[in-house]
Formats: sequence, C-alpha cells, structure tokens
Amino acid sequence: MTATDTKTSESASTRRRVGLGVGLVAFVLPLLIDIPDLSEAGERVLAVFLLAIVLWVTEAIPLYATAALVILLEIVMVSDQAVVGLPDGLAVPEYRTFFNALAHPVLMLFLGGFFLARGSSKYRLDRALAGVLLKPFGDRPAMIMLGLMLITAGFSMFMSNMATTATMIAVVLPVVAKLDPADRLRPALILSIPVAANIGGMGTPVGTPPNAIAVGQLASAGIEVSFAKWMALAVPGVVVLLLVAWWLMGRAFPTVTESIDLGMKADFDRSNAAKIFYVTFAVTVALWLTEAVHGLPSGVTGFLPVVVLLATGLFGAEDLRRVQWDVLWLVAGGIALGVGVAQSGLDEWLVGRVAWENFGSIAIVALLAAVALVLSTVISNSAAANLLVPLGLSMALSPAVDVDPLLAGFFIAIGASLAMALPISTPTNAVAYSTGEVSTRDMARVGLIVGAVGLVVFLLSPLFWSAVGLT
Amino acid sequence: MSSLVILVVEDEPGVRDAVIRDLESFEPLFRIEPAEDATDAKAALEECAADGVRVALIVADHLLPGQHGTEFLIEVNQSDEGKHIKKVLLTGQAGHDDTIRAINQAGLDYYVAKPWSGADLISVVSKQLTDYVLEESGDLLPYVSILDGSRLLEAIAERGI
Repeated sequence: MTATDTKTSESASTRRRVGLGVGLVAFVLPLLIDIPDLSEAGERVLAVFLLAIVLWVTEAIPLYATAALVILLEIVMVSDQAVVGLPDGLAVPEYRTFFNALAHPVLMLFLGGFFLARGSSKYRLDRALAGVLLKPFGDRPAMIMLGLMLITAGFSMFMSNMATTATMIAVVLPVVAKLDPADRLRPALILSIPVAANIGGMGTPVGTPPNAIAVGQLASAGIEVSFAKWMALAVPGVVVLLLVAWWLMGRAFPTVTESIDLGMKADFDRSNAAKIFYVTFAVTVALWLTEAVHGLPSGVTGFLPVVVLLATGLFGAEDLRRVQWDVLWLVAGGIALGVGVAQSGLDEWLVGRVAWENFGSIAIVALLAAVALVLSTVISNSAAANLLVPLGLSMALSPAVDVDPLLAGFFIAIGASLAMALPISTPTNAVAYSTGEVSTRDMARVGLIVGAVGLVVFLLSPLFWSAVGLT
Repeated sequence: MSSLVILVVEDEPGVRDAVIRDLESFEPLFRIEPAEDATDAKAALEECAADGVRVALIVADHLLPGQHGTEFLIEVNQSDEGKHIKKVLLTGQAGHDDTIRAINQAGLDYYVAKPWSGADLISVVSKQLTDYVLEESGDLLPYVSILDGSRLLEAIAERGI
C-alpha cells in the first residue's frame, strides 16, 4: 500500500526494529509473568495475540507473514505438538486444527470469488456489463455518478474492492481528464468509485476479506452464516448508504458540466470460452444465493468455479499462481488466532476484564464497529478484523454478555469497511489518490462523513431486520 | 522510490533545450539527463548504472558529431541493461537505410520526425514510459497521475486474481 511505498526505507527499517522489539517484549511478558485466573494455555495464546497485535499494527513483517507466524506459534505452543508440553488436565487441540485454518471453507469461498473476478476481467465481462448497465442513467453528471456508484458497488460485492476500483477508474479517467481543471466533477467522479467499492464490498461474504474473517470465525464457533443471510443483513444498509453517499457527494462537489459521455460499449465476448465462463459465473452465484434450498455450503459452491475453470482449461497454471495467496493466508491467520483464543480459555479471561453486563447490546455492537472503523483507518482492514473478531466473538459467546455473536462479527466487518478517510486507509483509496485528481482533504471529508453516516445506518438496521423478521 | 531517467541525446543546444522543455511534465518521477553526443551519452549511462539508477527511455537525434544516433542505439540495444530501455529516434535526417537499421537492430520503439509538436512528443514519450513501467516496475501506482493512467490501472486490476 501507499503507506509503505512513500515512506523512506530508513523510517521503514526503524519501524521494523521498533515493531520487532516491542513485539518480542509483548510476546515474552505473558510467558514470564503468571497471570491470575488465566490457564497456562491461555497465557501462551495471549503471548501470540499480543505479538500479532504489534506486528499487524506496525507491519514490521508483512501481514501475511504474521499470519503464518501465528499458525506456527500456536502449533508449537498450544497444540499436541507443543515443544514445551502443557500441564496435564488441559484439553489440547490437535496441531491439525491450526493448519486447517489454511483450508477453511471460507477460504474456498474466497478462492471462488477470486476466480470469478479474474474471469470477469479476462473476458471483459465487467466492462461489457458496465456498458449495458450504465446506459439507462443517461448523460447527466449526477445520474452518471449514481450509475457508476451502483455498478461499482455491485461488482465489488463479488470482486476485490481494489480491482473493481482500478477497473472503473480506468474507464472514467480519460473522460475526467477532458473536464475543466477547476470543475469539481473531477474529484467527485474519481472519489465516488472507491467509496462505492468500499460500501459494496460489505454486501457479501466474498466482498472483502473482513467479511470472510467474520464468517470464518463464526463458523469455527459453530455459527454458520449463509451467503444469502449475510446479503440479507448487509445489502439494505449498503443500498441506503450508497444513496446517502451519492447525495452527499453531489452536494459537496457542485459542477457546471451538463453532460458527459463515458463512451462505454456493451461489447460482450462471444467466444465459447467466454460463454463457459458466463454460465459458470451465473450458476455459482445462483447456488450461493439458494443455499437454503439445496443446502450446499457456500465454501463448497465456491470451489465449483475453481474446478470448472481449471478443468475446462479456461484457466491455466499461470492463473492459479496469480491467486492472491497473501490475502487468503491473512484471513487464515485470523481464523487460527480465533481458534486459539477460544480453545485456550483466553476468551473467558478477556471478557472477564470488563463488566460488560452493564452495557446494552447495542452499545457493545456500536463499540465494536467504531473500534474497527478507527483501527482500520490506519491499519489494514483485514488485520484489524483479524484482531477484533476473536475479541468480539469471545464477548458475544460469553454468557455474561447479551449480544448475538453473528452481530458482533458482522459489525466488526462492517466497521472495518467503513474506514475510508485516508489514502492509506484502504487500497481503493490509494488507487483513487494515485490519479492526482483527489486531494487528501476531499478524501478525508467524504471518507469521514460516509464512515460516520455508515455507522449510524448500519446500527439502525437491526430495527429494519426485526421489522421484516430477519433476526 | 528511486527515480527513472530519460536520456536526451542531441548536439544542438537550442533543440536539446526544446526537447527537455517539452518533457518537463514527466519530471516529478523521471529525471531528464542531457547529452550532446554518443560519447557523452555513454558516460551518462555508465554513471546511472554506477548509481543504481535505471534509464527508462533514450530520445536520440540521428545526426550527431562522431558516432551517429542510430549506431549508438544499436550499441545500447546489444547490452544486457540496454535491451529494456525504450528508444525513440527524433530526427529529420536519417536516411531510409539508417531507419531500417534502427528498427531491425536497435529495437527502435518510435520514430519522431523533425520538426515535431510538443503534444505529439509528450504522447509518444508517455506511451513509451508506460510500456517501460508496465514491463519493469513492480509498483505502478506512483505513475498513474503522470503516464497513461487508464492502462496502468487496468494492469493493476489484472495483476492479482
């Protein structure tokens, strides 16, 4: 991300040294000091957890490396393969439990999402669809912006937010470049895209890694969230927030331009390969949405496009190598951490530190979402979710706290996606900022307002859910 | 991030300055290095190699005192580091044979005829530099605002699955 690029190598090496130093101290302390009421296994997982916090916040080593380290440390510290055995009488998980995180069904779901996204770009389905869908929006700038935002959000529900943003800005950039340099439509059009991608990413379990982290850790805790269920919870908020963001940006960036033409054509690839891909895409999404009917878990469905596209030769070894394993491993690290926290009894100890029973359930959920938002503004959304979801679920699963675990996970994921105030907050913002059309000030203004409004919109949505009988 | 270099080889000071002026818009990320002949240009290439700075593009005149531009570009193209450098011939005096040699042996990427228009030169250079960073640079984001942003963003979208 830009944060690491623009900093000089000198400050990066300082950061690395500080991160590793502080991380080591944080790791060693719980092992040396006897913590009252916390089991030996709990102390060891606490050491891993504290190290993970420091490393994911400072990025002293890459995010995915920390994830791999978490898995290894858990295996050698709290599994049946622990180098220093745990005291007798404690339930010790098999070491496979932690390796399993690397092949967790939610990773297969995400892998399926990657394949569909790559295919969309390979067969230019995204461009062609955007061309078709944008037509009804005419040529007035405000309507074009609405169309762009809805399409971007729709795509980013199934593709990575960053890839969607890059694709859509690539479409808009030549048009923006021809506008008057003083026209505020320039930053508005560019900025509307990452905002919409960030919002759209909240919509499905494959939309963005924090969602997968929440779904994965909920599944580890025995709570299965289907694709459709997540969408039912998230999409109403997504739509409302998109409309609010569009309206706000229209007001914040007044324009004199009366019409624009993005020159997009609905050129669908009609080759047989493309047709196979279209069918695979449609069947996968249909199966995801109808889990309630056929009962096939979304992770299994997610593996379907992987098999079909590889077996038909549409995708080769090169495509397989281009899977963003770093993203998948980061999610796996979070899942492994969550398993460790729950299995070691660290969860009960953590929850016991605060008298949560004095807080209302809405207050707790709001707190989780707000902390996720603030943390994700400065560190990676996935890293923030990795750290917060185990805490949130520990709380929600504790009998002392009256919060639905599903909501705890959901709101942490939503909070993480709402962080879009700075160019470094998300890769989508970094892409928009790279065009030079958007100032940090404009980005911060829009990002802060959309983030705050989003928090309110989503915190109100339980009212809507209970009105329609969702929860 | 270390900056990349555009090497301008042109013997007439007035023409050289005009080229450098036209390419000013690339300067935030590309350092422009002037050279008056092939010898001077080779010294500049060596200096860049010694400093670990990569040369992305050479814009050379054909008719230079001493070694001609085309011969110079052929020599560059035969070296390991030089193969990847984008090469543009900016000239009014290269004959038919020279031009053919430049295309076949120097890996010439573009031929700009003198007199040139600033806008044309900028668009040629922008395309060549975009090709270069797409081939040679891992991180494309810094170049989006200066080079062909749409092409770079498409590549960014494509690079990961």
